[in-house]
Amino acid sequence: MHPYLAYVAKRLGQFLLIAFIGVNLAYAITHATPIDPVEQSIAVATSFGSTAPQAIESMRQSLRELYGLTGTPLEQYLTFWRRVVTADFGPSLSAFPAPVSSLIARALPWTVGLLVTSTLLSFALGSLLGGLAGYHQDSRGLKLMGILAMGLHPVPYYIVALVLLIVFGFVWPVLPIAGGSAMNLPQGFNLEFAASVARHSILPVLSLTLVGVGGWFLGMRSLVSNIVSEDYVVYAELAGVDRRRILSSYVMRNALVPQFTGLAMSLGGIFNGAIITEKVFGYPGVGTLLVDAVYAGDYGLVLGVTTVSIIGVSVGVLVIDLVYPFLDPRVQVR
Amino acid sequence: MSAPVPAVPSAAAAAAPVPAAPVLSVQDLKAYYRTRYFGVTRDVRAVDGVSFEVRAGEIYGLAGESSSGKTTLIKAIAGAIRPPLEVVGGTMTFSFLPGSPGLHRASPAEVAGIRWRHLSYIMQGSMNVLNPVRRVKHSFDDFAFRHMGLARSAFWAEVEAHLARVDLDPSVLAAYPHELSGGMRQRVTIALATLCRPEFVIADEPTTALDVLVQKTVLGMIRSVQREIGSSLLFVTHDMGVHAALTDRLAIMYAGRLAEEGRTAEIFARPRHPYTRHLVGSLPRIGDASERKSLDGTPPNLADPPPGCRFHPRCPLAMDVCRREQPAMIADGPDHRVACFAVHPQSEGHP
Amino acid sequence: MLAILRDLLRYNAEFRIGLLLVGIVVVLAALSFASPYPPLDVYVVPPDLPPSWAYPFGTTSRGQDVFWQLTVAIRNTLAFGIAVALLSRVLSLAIGLFSGYKGGWIDRVLMSINDTFIVLPLFPILVLFYFVMRDRMTWAMLALIMACLGWAYDARLIRSVAMSLKTREFTQTSIFSGMTTREILMREHLPYVMPIVFSTTMNNMNWSIGLEVTLSVLGFTDINTPTIGGMIFWANQHTAMVAGVWWWFAFPVAVVVMAFVGLFLLAVSMNEYIDPRSRLRRMGGAAG
Repeated sequence: MHPYLAYVAKRLGQFLLIAFIGVNLAYAITHATPIDPVEQSIAVATSFGSTAPQAIESMRQSLRELYGLTGTPLEQYLTFWRRVVTADFGPSLSAFPAPVSSLIARALPWTVGLLVTSTLLSFALGSLLGGLAGYHQDSRGLKLMGILAMGLHPVPYYIVALVLLIVFGFVWPVLPIAGGSAMNLPQGFNLEFAASVARHSILPVLSLTLVGVGGWFLGMRSLVSNIVSEDYVVYAELAGVDRRRILSSYVMRNALVPQFTGLAMSLGGIFNGAIITEKVFGYPGVGTLLVDAVYAGDYGLVLGVTTVSIIGVSVGVLVIDLVYPFLDPRVQVR
Repeated sequence: MSAPVPAVPSAAAAAAPVPAAPVLSVQDLKAYYRTRYFGVTRDVRAVDGVSFEVRAGEIYGLAGESSSGKTTLIKAIAGAIRPPLEVVGGTMTFSFLPGSPGLHRASPAEVAGIRWRHLSYIMQGSMNVLNPVRRVKHSFDDFAFRHMGLARSAFWAEVEAHLARVDLDPSVLAAYPHELSGGMRQRVTIALATLCRPEFVIADEPTTALDVLVQKTVLGMIRSVQREIGSSLLFVTHDMGVHAALTDRLAIMYAGRLAEEGRTAEIFARPRHPYTRHLVGSLPRIGDASERKSLDGTPPNLADPPPGCRFHPRCPLAMDVCRREQPAMIADGPDHRVACFAVHPQSEGHP
Repeated sequence: MLAILRDLLRYNAEFRIGLLLVGIVVVLAALSFASPYPPLDVYVVPPDLPPSWAYPFGTTSRGQDVFWQLTVAIRNTLAFGIAVALLSRVLSLAIGLFSGYKGGWIDRVLMSINDTFIVLPLFPILVLFYFVMRDRMTWAMLALIMACLGWAYDARLIRSVAMSLKTREFTQTSIFSGMTTREILMREHLPYVMPIVFSTTMNNMNWSIGLEVTLSVLGFTDINTPTIGGMIFWANQHTAMVAGVWWWFAFPVAVVVMAFVGLFLLAVSMNEYIDPRSRLRRMGGAAG
């Protein structure tokens, strides 16, 4: 078999494993714990004001059916998997009768857009600056950037989002701090809407990028510092190859390989950050959807978003894995 | 059939001793590793007063155990001088850069013009000398194209012709380094280093990492390419057998200084310096079943070398003067020099 | 071990700063035992007062002294982080050492599972946990769950150290002298692995405290126990931002950022120390 195809098969196997374990974990949490999510939903739904016992009972029945909680454990397990595969999570309780899948489908593009933009931005910027910092070890400006990166990188996503919210919401209110686009603007493929989307995305993207760029900077810098003493770099220098060419083709290009692996490993963490950042800025992605669903006791929506998140991140990692051999030609031989 | 080879001097002319101008002339070179901290300067005297010449078209060998300083010596010659390594004294003058005390003093423009075009390098450990994420042809492009002054198509034609000289198929260019065997990688490096026909090539243990059979082939190729393009080769290895097979002249280095230098045949036939005798004697010879004695002691600490001759703690012929003064390199026969009080009792030493 | 600390203090600015920051945070946490107010009580002081001599960090809209509340909050947050880090060390060490040492198909299987846990987005899973457990979610339970989910990244690092140890001579000697795998791992390999365990512990604490803050801010934990995230949660509930009560946010955020940066610097300097090249570069290679 062609080596690349063998590699694809391996990565697909890993993807299926992740999806399998992840979805089973979600199943275990919701079905195997002694706490009944239906009761939780009912508790939240009936917490304001009083409801007649017959109403509660019929609610319980219909919820059980809707959420596939009737029947033997095996039946429930199979129903669960069937729903996951067909992306049918039932109706949303908080937005009844809109199906959960349609709510998620509406929110997902916002999240994906946010994730892709900020990840690309922070990865490219961080890696470039970090690579330069690792190569030109005496540059004061780059050393300063390193210190900034070390101070910013460990701060969690929520805190950075909060600080930006305070700064741009109250101290210097020049950017919109809530929503995905201006409220009175209808959605459409026109310039006005696109501009509004762009303006509203500045703060969430900035928040995610600020946290992420430090990590890529530090990683690339340490990789490059080690690569500079590798035989092939020393040899190219001895041969008098142009310094810029050495930096791009010999140093950075080789450092990019492990850096890219780091991207696959951090995707889960970046996704976590995106969720909370969305909630802080009221950005209409799956993050806000998830948190609001918990407040409303909307079991189907919470489970739906969790499952989609697991599978979505796994797909993202799979895509990165499939691109990887084009960066590192050695991987096909292993 | 490969492209027509340019005219080279006949084999007979190349073998006879030619009193031509040296390609490299090293005078009293001193290169130390200097570390300064807490106000104390410590010098590791890796190269401590070395003088020799390499003539046009010859293969000059440099032998010695590890920590003899030979690696530092070639680093200095090649201009690969980075802190804490410093050239503390002496000169290294190339025929193609007259008047300059060495590459460490030349301007960046001069250095860029020299590297690869006049001075090239074959490194040890061919495992990792080529960029692992790019195809082999990119290395040829990066290293050699700007020096050849040819159009692209003519350049690649020349490259393929040159590869044929080391018995490599042009398909090698499209491969990644990890797809080639160790021997093939080393042959690529040889082709790479000799493509621009430099006057001077430094080879640093180029066959040590290869197995014996491949070693023989590669050595043969090094010699045939060198003879064809007429460059001088400074060949560094601790393996005396390789020196015997390949080099025209040979220098023995010990603890930062030269012990002996002369025509290879002469060195093996009649070694004068006790250290050389030990090295030559340690070579196994078919039919010779006598026991081999190893040398007592270890090479000296170059940060704190013994006074006088560096070899005296381990020398079977050590005399009183050896402990006090360093012997100078003095001629002992045509084209032969030794630094030893046992050979030249009246020589004045350097303190 | 002491020699390592002394070297780090002398040569590594990052270690010194990290130690200072963490030191300040620990002192604050220790002060919590001297708090004049019971931490769960509300309306013990006049609310919404800006920082002054009487109340150095001001007071909250719930009538609590921000300074004393903060000391208890950072103590609880730190304790949580340490608990998760220690619990997950057990898993990380066990799996990392075993997998790295054994190699072969055991290693491949364990690493496949390991990579699964690295990739899985843990936040939605934790949210799902909260949704199902609601008020029955105790701190101990949350710590246990996070430890069971967060061992993967560090297990990989420990595994690579274990793999390099496997090929060293003293391991072969131990095998030939008849030590069991468990004995080899615990007696011979563990000391070499300690520095990386230390740095990964710092990183793991950052990770778990970050998650705790994020969950608490949303109200997804027991918000009656004072924690940093809990303080910010209550500040949001009382719309402190709009009301201009900035000190209710600023001081918790400042203290927790100190903790994060301090722990991170400690981890980074320890990592640099482990790598002999960077250690040498710092200590003596620099000329002049």
